[in-house]
Amino acid sequence: MEKLRSIMLACVGFALFLGLWEIGGRILGSALLAPPSAVAVDYVDLLRQGDMLRELAGSLRQMAVGFLAACIVGMPLGVAMGRSDVADAIFRPWVSMFVVTSTAALIPLFILTIGTGFMLRVTIVFLASVWYIVLTAYNGARGVSPMQVAVARSFGAGTLQIFWKVTLPAIYPFLITGARIGLVHAIRAMVLAEMFVIIGYGGLIHRSGLLVDTGPVLGLLITLMIVSLFFNWLLGEAGRRLAPWYEQQRVTL
Amino acid sequence: MSELETRPAGTGAPDKLEIRNVTKYYHGRGNSLPVLENFSLAVKDLEFLVLLGPSGCGKSTLLRIIDGIETCDSGQVVLDGKNVTNTTGDGRGMVFQSFELFPWRKVIDNVAFGLEVTGVGKAERLDIAREYVNLVGLSAFEHSYPHELSGGMQQRVGIARALAIKPQVLLMDEPYGALDVQTRDLLQDELLSIWERQRKTVIFVTHSIEEALYLADRIVVMSPRPGRIEQIIDVPFGRPRRDALKSDPEFLALRREIWQILKKGARV
Repeated sequence: MEKLRSIMLACVGFALFLGLWEIGGRILGSALLAPPSAVAVDYVDLLRQGDMLRELAGSLRQMAVGFLAACIVGMPLGVAMGRSDVADAIFRPWVSMFVVTSTAALIPLFILTIGTGFMLRVTIVFLASVWYIVLTAYNGARGVSPMQVAVARSFGAGTLQIFWKVTLPAIYPFLITGARIGLVHAIRAMVLAEMFVIIGYGGLIHRSGLLVDTGPVLGLLITLMIVSLFFNWLLGEAGRRLAPWYEQQRVTL
Repeated sequence: MSELETRPAGTGAPDKLEIRNVTKYYHGRGNSLPVLENFSLAVKDLEFLVLLGPSGCGKSTLLRIIDGIETCDSGQVVLDGKNVTNTTGDGRGMVFQSFELFPWRKVIDNVAFGLEVTGVGKAERLDIAREYVNLVGLSAFEHSYPHELSGGMQQRVGIARALAIKPQVLLMDEPYGALDVQTRDLLQDELLSIWERQRKTVIFVTHSIEEALYLADRIVVMSPRPGRIEQIIDVPFGRPRRDALKSDPEFLALRREIWQILKKGARV
């Protein structure tokens, strides 16, 4: 019942927002703010033309390369920092510096060194997401219960066994969370980098923004939002499937 | 003090486990606090020994040193004539106060953990684990996760996990300390019935006099800072023991006497 209620409330809020947007759009006109009714028409056009989905697929493929690289580097690095004081001392200053640095500020620098092609997007996506993955894995590794490690030792487990059978399963939910946060940043960085060099999906948004009609831009943004939400949900669902104990444990706490 | 018979350790049945001159300091900033100093104790084969004392008397530390998850500064732990000081595994199975099950493992896999890390094959260890899950009455929950179980059930899993490795000595560190009184009473009876079917040397830590009297063959009453033996008490009650024993006049008299001993040793 509680859930139904909150869904109802969300729908009411959504309808109210659309209503206000429609009124605002009618007053301001499509050049400044296309109303939802106009965006819907433009959206069907965007789908029919095929540019939107084709560019999106291409961009997401490149984003995936950068994001996977960030996972492959970030997860072990975070775990190592969390479990070893030496690794922590060496890498933490760098992680702290980069995580607060605006990705947008780095893009012009990288355009000069690696150009505007495939590698630029991969690099920017990597740099935008890797630190969140590192920090989440780091916190997970820090939080491994010393008592559970002691239990494993008590039963005669060796260092490697403790790592595979206790540390990793204990960190696993943090790796999934880190990947979810990282992915959101990766998609944002993808669009950002593409807007700088006007290619891919970000380029499409940029070009549409130059038109005297805000309908297509809003349509592109909606697609982007849906895609981000979908991937975030997908990773969360994968985490729940693989670690059924985690969500339920949190709920009962 | 008339009913209490005290005797030096090491008489009667052969010794299963010997604690020889164990010393343990906790090192703080600038100072070292002795937890145990030259502590010696002999545990007989197949006896149910209870370490009883107030918090801070070093009883849990002693148990963790016997298990090997905590190291001692000097002294020896000898099991069946073999020096097992500061090593883990090897004949000792431990039950923890806060259960400490692995939340990502199902009941059966938690119970099989000790066998898994010692290299027992999958089919064999699952068979053994199933047997012990059954022994603690949780067959219906084999494939449940720990968070789906009550505290009492979780501790049953903890006991099955320790028993599954067929330890020479079962170590229990205030195993019922985190449970409510009713569950505690039920689990005491269950433990006794398991123990009567599968005799085993048990070292059980508690601060409850009643629990100590109800379970033990011998009670080692300890006092704190540094932990030392105040008195060793032979519990005169026969077995099997039933819940009614707890209101028996002799039981209550002994309970009062042990309380006097604890009070004498306590420095508040």
